[in-house]
Amino acid sequence: MERIFGIDLGTTNSLIAYSDNGAPRIIPDRQTKSPLLPSVVSFPVPGEIVVGARAKELAAHHPLATIASAKRFMGLGMEHVTTEDREHYAFADGSKDVVRFRVCDREYTPPEISALILKELKRRAETDLGEEVRKVVITVPAYFNDSQRQATRDAGRLAGLEVLRLVNEPTAASLAYGLDKRNQGFIAVYDLGGGTFDISILKLHQGIFEVLATNGDTRLGGDDMDRRLAHLLLERVPSNLRGDPELVVQALAAAERAKIRLTDSQSAPLELHRGSIQVSVTITRAEFEALVADIVERTAAPCRQAMKDAGLGPGDLDEVVLVGGSTRVPLVRRRVQELFGRLPHTELNPEEVVALGAAVQAGVLSGGHRDMLLLDVVPLSLGIETVGGVTERLIERNTTIPTTVKQMFTTFVDNQTAVDFHVVQGERELVKDNRSLARFKLRGIEPLPAGMPRIEVTFMIDANGILNVTAHDDRTGREQSIDIKPSYGLTDEQIECMLEESIDFAEEDVHARLLIEARNDADGLLRGARRALAEARLDEPERSTIAAAMARLEAAVAGTDYNQIRDLNDELNQATTPLAQRIMDASIKAALERRRVDEVL
Amino acid sequence: MGSIPASAAGREGAMQAAGERVSCWQCNADHSPDFFCPKCGAIQLLPERTDYFQVLGVPRRLLVDADALQRRYYELNRRLHPDLYQTGPEMARQASLHNTAAVNRAYRTLRDPTERALYWLSLHNEKLGSNNNRVPRELATLVFEVQEKLEELRAAGGTDAQRAIEGELAAARTELRQRQAALTDALQENFRRWDAASADAPTLTHELKSILSSLAYLGTLARDVERELDK
Repeated sequence: MERIFGIDLGTTNSLIAYSDNGAPRIIPDRQTKSPLLPSVVSFPVPGEIVVGARAKELAAHHPLATIASAKRFMGLGMEHVTTEDREHYAFADGSKDVVRFRVCDREYTPPEISALILKELKRRAETDLGEEVRKVVITVPAYFNDSQRQATRDAGRLAGLEVLRLVNEPTAASLAYGLDKRNQGFIAVYDLGGGTFDISILKLHQGIFEVLATNGDTRLGGDDMDRRLAHLLLERVPSNLRGDPELVVQALAAAERAKIRLTDSQSAPLELHRGSIQVSVTITRAEFEALVADIVERTAAPCRQAMKDAGLGPGDLDEVVLVGGSTRVPLVRRRVQELFGRLPHTELNPEEVVALGAAVQAGVLSGGHRDMLLLDVVPLSLGIETVGGVTERLIERNTTIPTTVKQMFTTFVDNQTAVDFHVVQGERELVKDNRSLARFKLRGIEPLPAGMPRIEVTFMIDANGILNVTAHDDRTGREQSIDIKPSYGLTDEQIECMLEESIDFAEEDVHARLLIEARNDADGLLRGARRALAEARLDEPERSTIAAAMARLEAAVAGTDYNQIRDLNDELNQATTPLAQRIMDASIKAALERRRVDEVL
Repeated sequence: MGSIPASAAGREGAMQAAGERVSCWQCNADHSPDFFCPKCGAIQLLPERTDYFQVLGVPRRLLVDADALQRRYYELNRRLHPDLYQTGPEMARQASLHNTAAVNRAYRTLRDPTERALYWLSLHNEKLGSNNNRVPRELATLVFEVQEKLEELRAAGGTDAQRAIEGELAAARTELRQRQAALTDALQENFRRWDAASADAPTLTHELKSILSSLAYLGTLARDVERELDK
């Protein structure tokens, strides 16, 4: 059965994991062994795309050609971009609807940037496991609205992935925690990441993870703390030099380092050196906490609201779980403890727990983990615009998904053949205070006297938290055609167009790439083995074992079965390991002896 | 068990006709509507207008055992949820999606006494009409008092009088809560009588509507008071 992968597409870092016989495993980078892929994409020269750790390094020299934290802009429109955002990104200003970044002479939407990160994760997993990655589960902040979820799904599609499910990050984290604990009772998951904040209250009952309420802020996280610290540095720079993008990137990097230091230390240096600019400050933990207190405090109201919506008081909770890198900040931990009146759990690495949970959910979908089931909710109420710009709520927030609601539409004038309606998400009375999702047009209505047509529209929020709208004519029972214009999303045509434009997509042949990689590995191993045979003294059985393994591998390299080459690579590697060990030991011994001589001299 | 007169089965909550048959999408076997085909076991799309009690497979009664309801809800989810059909055929995926949505909607309605009662009214082709939005007579004095206090409080913003009015509002809130509790008891009593063998439907319907509109009224008022006091 085809494996399903779990992806944590984070603001700061992204991870890919899978379930191996029920145990989730994160796939590390082949070279660095790090499980985290920095969610940074850089375009140092036209035509070259760099993703991950190297892109993060390139940011210092190519600040405007490097995009970090693209997730903050998923599913948003240009009117949501703040002045502060403009200090960190170059936007294409002609764009009226979705956010577009300008890089050199090209424009990229946030889903396109995210797709490049997803492709890199796909590649990482394919290299590690030697199989093609097609089906995935991607996590999203629980408080993501419909447009943000659609944008995430679009990113998957652009990366050539089939996104089987979007899973809410705190819910995924609870799966990872529940796995080895078989917890019962009520738990709160407090998830403060690089760019988003979620709070979810769950009820655990014999493997069922039922979300009772969720709340949050999709533009609140560790990035905001970094910006505050960076500001501290930049305000010490002469004002005419402050706008330098490279300087801003360096200040942010310094800020992040200082923030991390302050988790374990009481003070940390905060430094900026660039040409004539030499700024050096020492910041204490107390100063840092005062600086970011209001950011941390912004998480309190969503927590209280979620508890209220779940119908629980602080005494009712059995566990509190921390997720996201920003929960390493001591002030955050203290505040969580105050809010919920209990010591939070931190056993699992807060940066890995969402990916682990995504792998568990991927396992559930592929037919493993039959004893576990997630019942999640829609984070924001869904409604339609009625007379006077008032929102008529159709689906309340915290309704368990999937859910459907039906609404009857009719015409206002005789022979009217089309009816428009506007769908919004949010808790406010007035449409203008809520987030516009899409405008719909029911077309081809039979010309009849006003009020006669009866078009029944079904609003379904599926298990991904994504809205699907269908309609039929109640009188004739016929399917009714609908046009959808997403307010801040890409249409199917736009996505198709992007897929065609994307040069390196071209249905890249995974097998060809895996074959090349396996052959490269074989080349290296064979070269090493030949050298070893020539140099080292070997007994005959050992020599013939190695020679036989080499011969088999050489034959395999001539063929195209990359799995066979990988297996024989392993075989040759094993055959030469004792020899390598001896050579190593000998050189260490030599080194030690030399030192003894050095010491004597 | 309170039975519903056939004449009361209206458009909103029309129950499936007795003896209705459907055929399985997979093996074509003819069967009465259920979540699974009795012959081949494939998941079936439940007819759209199946009533909520039938969806959850609980007795059609107004007094509901909350624990049993929740158990049933979890059981159904363990068999129907879309996660379990992800790799199955399209028909099974669609049936799972729509059935789970139906189960969710039914559970959300039946677990809440007020929602359940409103649904019960709809099954009887009744609803809280616009003439029920008038202030119920027995609440008139309380409603008038509280609304006056709310006005005073809004006017007294920032002055010394504010604290005194807040105290009075807090007292009113206590009374509101007591009234709500009494009405909730009355609701339970009404449920008991519906479920009795000799239920007098017209009288009980009238009483139920009166309790529900009073509860709705008090609910709105209590929310306004909370909002003002939380400011």
